[in-house]
Amino acid sequence: MKKLLKAPLQLAGLGLASALVLTGCAASTTAPSQSAEPSASEDITSQPIELAFMGPETPETFEPVIAGFTELYPNITINYEQIPFDQLATTIEQRIGSGDSAIDIYTVDQPWLAQYAAKGYLEDISYLAAEASSAMPSAMYDVNFYDEKMWALSVWNSTQMMFYNKDMLDAAGVQYPSSSPDARWTWEEIDAASKIIVDSGSAQYGYLLEQVVNYYQFQAIAESAGGGSGITGSDMLSLDLTNAGWTKALEWYQDSFANGLQPTGVGGFDTGPMFSDKKLAFFIGGPWDIGIFGGNDVNWGVAPHPYFEGGEVATPTGSWSWGLNPASKNKTAAAEFLKYATINPVGNLKTTEALTVIPANEEAAGKYLPGLESDPRSAGVSDIMLYEIQNTARTRPTTVGYVQFDSLLSVALEDIRNGAEITSRIDVLTAAIDDAWELFR
Amino acid sequence: MKRKELYWALLVFLAPAVLALVVMRILPAAQALIESLFKTNVFSGEKTFVGVDNYVSLFENPDFQNTIAVTILFAFLVNPIQVFSALLLALLFVRAFPFSRLLRSLIIFPIAVPPAVAAVMWSAVYRPDGLANGILKSLGLSTQGFILDEEQALMAIIVMLSWIGVGYWMLFLIAGLNDIPDEIYEAARIDGAGYIRQTVSVTMPLLGRPLSFVLVATTISNFLVFAPVLILTRGGPVGSTSLLMYDIFLRAYSFGDIGRANAGVFILILLMVTAVSLQFFLLRKGNQQ
Repeated sequence: MKKLLKAPLQLAGLGLASALVLTGCAASTTAPSQSAEPSASEDITSQPIELAFMGPETPETFEPVIAGFTELYPNITINYEQIPFDQLATTIEQRIGSGDSAIDIYTVDQPWLAQYAAKGYLEDISYLAAEASSAMPSAMYDVNFYDEKMWALSVWNSTQMMFYNKDMLDAAGVQYPSSSPDARWTWEEIDAASKIIVDSGSAQYGYLLEQVVNYYQFQAIAESAGGGSGITGSDMLSLDLTNAGWTKALEWYQDSFANGLQPTGVGGFDTGPMFSDKKLAFFIGGPWDIGIFGGNDVNWGVAPHPYFEGGEVATPTGSWSWGLNPASKNKTAAAEFLKYATINPVGNLKTTEALTVIPANEEAAGKYLPGLESDPRSAGVSDIMLYEIQNTARTRPTTVGYVQFDSLLSVALEDIRNGAEITSRIDVLTAAIDDAWELFR
Repeated sequence: MKRKELYWALLVFLAPAVLALVVMRILPAAQALIESLFKTNVFSGEKTFVGVDNYVSLFENPDFQNTIAVTILFAFLVNPIQVFSALLLALLFVRAFPFSRLLRSLIIFPIAVPPAVAAVMWSAVYRPDGLANGILKSLGLSTQGFILDEEQALMAIIVMLSWIGVGYWMLFLIAGLNDIPDEIYEAARIDGAGYIRQTVSVTMPLLGRPLSFVLVATTISNFLVFAPVLILTRGGPVGSTSLLMYDIFLRAYSFGDIGRANAGVFILILLMVTAVSLQFFLLRKGNQQ
């Protein structure tokens, strides 16, 4: 069970960025400067080649795509190495950073791409840009660009939605939220409904954000409150965390825990099980949860992601891309595998066989999404996801300082969730991020 | 054996240890010191000599000041607690009583659990609806925040680390206790000394060596505590568990700030050397008296 849960969460943490990126950057679709394609004369069809592939998912996740590829290239073996999500950034820093050639291809959390590209941890693959742009929605394509070059290819896309426990709502006499994006609930409505449900004793808590202290999920809340992404400036290295919107979002966030509507002390892989264990009436989670909750006995339904009354509708997005290690000795073969898993709809679809996640490839997504409704409880989810990806998704900011921002913000959110005074905590956070960003100035 | 031959023999026998010491300890420390004097451009990897700028910027940073304060407070709390508990347990378990072997094994058992795994286990204990609060509730006591409470988090980590470490340190002390010849106790008993008098006047002085070793070794290992902080608190709540080793990890591997991370490493080495020298000085003084 743990294994099952782990993969989607890792995905959620790292990977969500790609979908949103689509809509967010649509206007900036970039024409890349040409990069050198590996020598075409290199033979990858006859001699035996071993490729090393590193990522946070369980090995089972990539078995289908690896099997599909090695059927086309029987001479190529792909060895997948799983690095737990929490250690992935560190491992990339240590191994790719030190020029380790024993990794050929690795997973890249999209908001981290800018920094990896700037540090030279990724091979320039702009020569694949033309093929990629016709296979993917523009946000999924744009997210892989930094400094006008393409550094990776999107494998998955993501969004978030609201799961609700029908039995709990019935018991408390609360109407189900609509599955139509036009009639989506506000956070205020969820607070009110949660209070009724908790007071009536039909649930221990009202709701919970899946990645409760992660920017991936909090960004949509701050944006809906009118606070923007929190990062501004031409170099995207200025903070804007004290505006009215961010303050409103943070106060709402803190109150939801103080009032007992969201539980404290639960995070990481423990959030989803709270919904399956019938402790929550609502759960804001991702497409992977459809797969996970498919195995529980909760009578659940799905509604669109909430927003603040009078505010804009904003939803999380983004996911994982894959990139090539510049130190790899098998770049041609690795690029071929990368193309198969992303640009080729058949290969891309295979990456979603073992996991409920949206394929980044347009054709693959078209085949995949309707299948998500095979469980009658997930009725309407395909339309919700399509709508969010196209209309409400907010990409995480492209900044070389994302790593520092993301990791320090999440510690601050944990403190605020547990009652730390907001203004002073945000001041401390701002000083800490500015200090960490000294590196780029 | 001639003197010259003796020197050669000494050199040959000592070489592996000295070599290991140089390669695994002294060179990395020297490298940390050198790197701490440079600022590395994240993008180009180019290094610029900045003198003591990295140290100045660290000590001017309120977060780092807090980290140093927390690390020192932690050292003052955790080491006496662990050494004292290990000593009490050793005095207890050196005597035979019903189930003493079983209980002793249970206390030693956590050594087998890696700190990271222990941290995951303890996160379930410390959760608001976890085991610890469950026990408090069943006793009719009010529930506590533990790792979510700024004032309890450091102590919660100390308790967890002691659960892992005390059994281990107890083993050294039991070995030390077993080395004390029975005749000395016998003589003390003939002179009319009771258990407490025997412990104070016979056991403690004769346990000096293993006790000093345990004290120095716990001090060093506790300065290097890292995984529980990463897994349980990430330095929070509000910086209350921000230990130096974690701060160094964050700067080096999350932020890529190699210069200041190495400055942190060197400050950590200085802290450890100071603490251990102080311990040796006080122990020697105690022995002379």
